[in-house]
Amino acid sequence: MALPKRIIKETERLVADPAPGISAAPHEDNLRYFDVTIEGPDGSPFQNGVFRLELFLPEEYPMAPPKVRFLTKIYHPNIDKLGRICLDILKDKWSPALQIRTVLLSIQALLSAPNPDDPLATDVAKHYKENEKDAQRVSREWTEKYASK
Amino acid sequence: MAKIPRNFRLLEELEKGEKGIGDGSCSYGLEDGDDIMMSNWNGTIIGPGHTVHENRIYSLKIHCGASYPDDPPTVHFISRVNLPFVNQANGKVELTKLNVLAKWNRESSIETVLVSIRREMAAFNNRKLPQPPEGSVF
Repeated sequence: MALPKRIIKETERLVADPAPGISAAPHEDNLRYFDVTIEGPDGSPFQNGVFRLELFLPEEYPMAPPKVRFLTKIYHPNIDKLGRICLDILKDKWSPALQIRTVLLSIQALLSAPNPDDPLATDVAKHYKENEKDAQRVSREWTEKYASK
Repeated sequence: MAKIPRNFRLLEELEKGEKGIGDGSCSYGLEDGDDIMMSNWNGTIIGPGHTVHENRIYSLKIHCGASYPDDPPTVHFISRVNLPFVNQANGKVELTKLNVLAKWNRESSIETVLVSIRREMAAFNNRKLPQPPEGSVF
């Protein structure tokens, strides 16, 4: 099965010229399936953490968005217990002009700017809304516990 | 065709199961909502009408290993049931005796397993098999 040229190009660039704090490498036996790591952004409760994710490019890509989820546990209002991510560009705001790189940068940005008004993990969102400081403390604890380098 | 990896395939199955499948006679969900590897599932089959199984609710557990869906899941009945493809010692559904598991392919799913088991319950040779008391477990 031939891999579309666009995916080959994107992969080459991801490997040769990775975005800061982000790595993505395709599985040898499935070139549409990537192992991803994202470093927690400085100044966020996820700082010093390295988070593992998995990304899959479905048959319809780039007409349909990539599928992405966290494999590392994370205390974040827009990421649920199974690592699923609530991010508009992964759903109705997807555009074929976006790329794997832009998706991963957006996820990294989501770590800096949690959005408890559009929650996926409702209990975490409630915590963030009612007591942001305490919620950030838990996020830091989880980062240390599950996402240590 | 793009080959969908195990975890994304199981996420799809989970979302389908949460919405509810068919007429509700078979259902399934994650045993533990925190299980990031999505390995262990609970299933329910409502016994087909006009058989000895009518109105009985059967509980099953399903385990999807690391090589799912290339390999079939392992399936056990929790509720006691007398069927030729169910090991009477431990409730295990014997792969080789059930068509969907013996002829497993990547398109098969937890749903197809449960639906096939239910269909077998209503098969001519199975529909009148004497059954253990309702509510007993393996």
